[in-house]
Amino acid sequence: MPPLLQFIIRRLFYAVLSLMIITMVLYAGVMLSPPEARAQLYFPRGKGAERATEGYLRSIIRDHHLDRPYLVQYGYWVKSLIEGDWGYSPTLREDVLPALLRRTPVTLELALYSLLVLVPLGLASGLIAGWKPREGFDNTFRSMAFFGTTMPPFIFSFVLLSLFYVNLDWFAPGRLSFEYSLEISKEAFRAHTGMVTIDSLLNGRLDILWDALKHLVMPVLTLSMYHWATLGRITRTTIIAERDKEHILAAKARGIPERKLMWRYAFRSVLVPSLTSVALSAAAMLTGVLVVEAIFDLKGLSAVIVGSMNSAPDAPAALGFSVYSVLLVIGLMFLLDIAQAILDPRVREEVLKT
Amino acid sequence: MRRWRRFFAHWENWLGLLLILGFSIGAVAAPVLSPPDEADPGPFKQIGRASDFVPHPPGEEAILGTLPGQYDVFHTLVWGMRDAMLFGLLVALGSFLIGVFFGSVAGYAGGFVNGLMMRVADAFLTFPPIAGVVFLQQLVLNSITALGGLYYFDPIFFGRVLALGAPPTPLVALLAKIDPLMIVLILFSWMPYARLVNSIVLTLKGADYVQAARALGGSSSWVVRRHLIPNSMAPAVVLAARDVGGAVILQATITFIGLGGLSPWGMLLSMGRNFVLGPGGSLLTHWWVYLPVTLAVILFGLSWNLIGDGLNDVLGPASRGGYVSRQFWKRNTKQDEQVRSRDDQLLDSSPAG
Repeated sequence: MPPLLQFIIRRLFYAVLSLMIITMVLYAGVMLSPPEARAQLYFPRGKGAERATEGYLRSIIRDHHLDRPYLVQYGYWVKSLIEGDWGYSPTLREDVLPALLRRTPVTLELALYSLLVLVPLGLASGLIAGWKPREGFDNTFRSMAFFGTTMPPFIFSFVLLSLFYVNLDWFAPGRLSFEYSLEISKEAFRAHTGMVTIDSLLNGRLDILWDALKHLVMPVLTLSMYHWATLGRITRTTIIAERDKEHILAAKARGIPERKLMWRYAFRSVLVPSLTSVALSAAAMLTGVLVVEAIFDLKGLSAVIVGSMNSAPDAPAALGFSVYSVLLVIGLMFLLDIAQAILDPRVREEVLKT
Repeated sequence: MRRWRRFFAHWENWLGLLLILGFSIGAVAAPVLSPPDEADPGPFKQIGRASDFVPHPPGEEAILGTLPGQYDVFHTLVWGMRDAMLFGLLVALGSFLIGVFFGSVAGYAGGFVNGLMMRVADAFLTFPPIAGVVFLQQLVLNSITALGGLYYFDPIFFGRVLALGAPPTPLVALLAKIDPLMIVLILFSWMPYARLVNSIVLTLKGADYVQAARALGGSSSWVVRRHLIPNSMAPAVVLAARDVGGAVILQATITFIGLGGLSPWGMLLSMGRNFVLGPGGSLLTHWWVYLPVTLAVILFGLSWNLIGDGLNDVLGPASRGGYVSRQFWKRNTKQDEQVRSRDDQLLDSSPAG
């Protein structure tokens, strides 16, 4: 078996293990509530809590093994998750899994554009700043990065909204302007990916694309600012340590121009630590994306929980959302692990060794 | 001592300390600075007609003006300090204790047990706090309703309020008292501590004096308590200092977007929101509904970050720290080191998203 495949299989095993541990913790939390409350997870469509009689509750508890020991219940719950039965959410008035899947492209779109902005910017600015620490650009960079990490995103977006939406009316919250949101629900507009920017391109509707991009400016700005600052700082510290190493010195001695030295030689060494930092903060980043979504009214995954938090209790939505977001984070970490193994010669060697 | 002289040589650290001192004074002296309403104590105080939905500018009655519904801004600002301080410190302390304990026990046990325990920590690292908040609140809510409690909607805070069945059973009363957000934040921010402490303990285990302590017949728990934990504190303390600010900012964020949480600052911001973001609103006309509190949140996060950076500096490479910190930092800065481990990254990135 090729070593990389072995590595991937091992990582996959770890990913599944993580998933198991966290779902067990989640279900242990569910077990803290009485069986009658747990029964809500299995209420079918149209059978709200208020309409459930004693007998009906008892039949659900019996049918779904809710009076059995923890591990047995956990097993049945996982089984129903795998079968795609994630419960019915009374506040969303639809099944939880389709609701989550339908909203995922919106969240992905936002995350994708933010990453496209923040990763190149963070790497480049960190690199330039760290190459000549305590000089002109570095000082600007450090004060900006300090601002970026100190300014809480929700306050930043508050200010952005007030300036650019209420006062200047350049950008607006939401996904699309009203007339275009009607447009994309028409039959002529084929939704290929669920991401408006890509769909509008595929449909050849540049006006919709422009409108969608305009709606993305503020959330992307908010999201990238914080994470750009963190990423830039990490890149900067790495490059400062890396700058004086033998291989860079040797390259310098060979007469390799400064610019090439920086972007070719030093740049490689910052990629991996930066990837690691992205992977480590994946969960925090997802939280950030959801918060920004909620503030800018983007109706992505956060809509599932924001709705359910403001009305009747909705356990299936909350539990489904938790499992789903863990899945997203684990998937992202898995991808980054593999990218790291491919990019970093040191990790690659280790992969080959074991 | 030299370390502390270094610490006080930077104005940033002074600023951080002064800010924290200010917040602490505000937190402790809240009842003096803004006496609570006898009938309705708490972070919100009404000083005028509740039906008056126009915020009044600062004046005689309210130093920093009022919110819609005539809630005093200054009162919430000051009492919010108390809440923020308490919340931040408790979250940081809780995750610090859990993380240090978990990490050192795993590191001391070593081998298979260590691998397994660190896997558990990694699994926790994949859980976004926002999901935890929602999950735990729904859990509490569901349990209370299943046990006979009720909930209704508060028209002012636009939130759900629980009405316990009368008289509430002890379990229901307890459930209603806990702050799900605090528990979630503790439950899902101890992992960085565990990883840090774990890696230090693993390097320390081979150190001569630890070996000697064991050879002298010290029991495992004694070795962990006496040598490993005290010596692996420094980086964890740095992390904790930053966590205090991060936790409070996250709490305010979650309250602001309406996912629960009890941050008075967050509630105040969301109550005054429409006068800034609503039609005809602007940052200038009703500045008092958001500016004092925004500044407080920013400065609170800032001060703890400054202290964290300062401590990091002092306990870092050039300082004459204890054996461990020297070893730990040397390991980090040593050239041709293997891949910068994930744990080192944790110190660079700040905790909250």
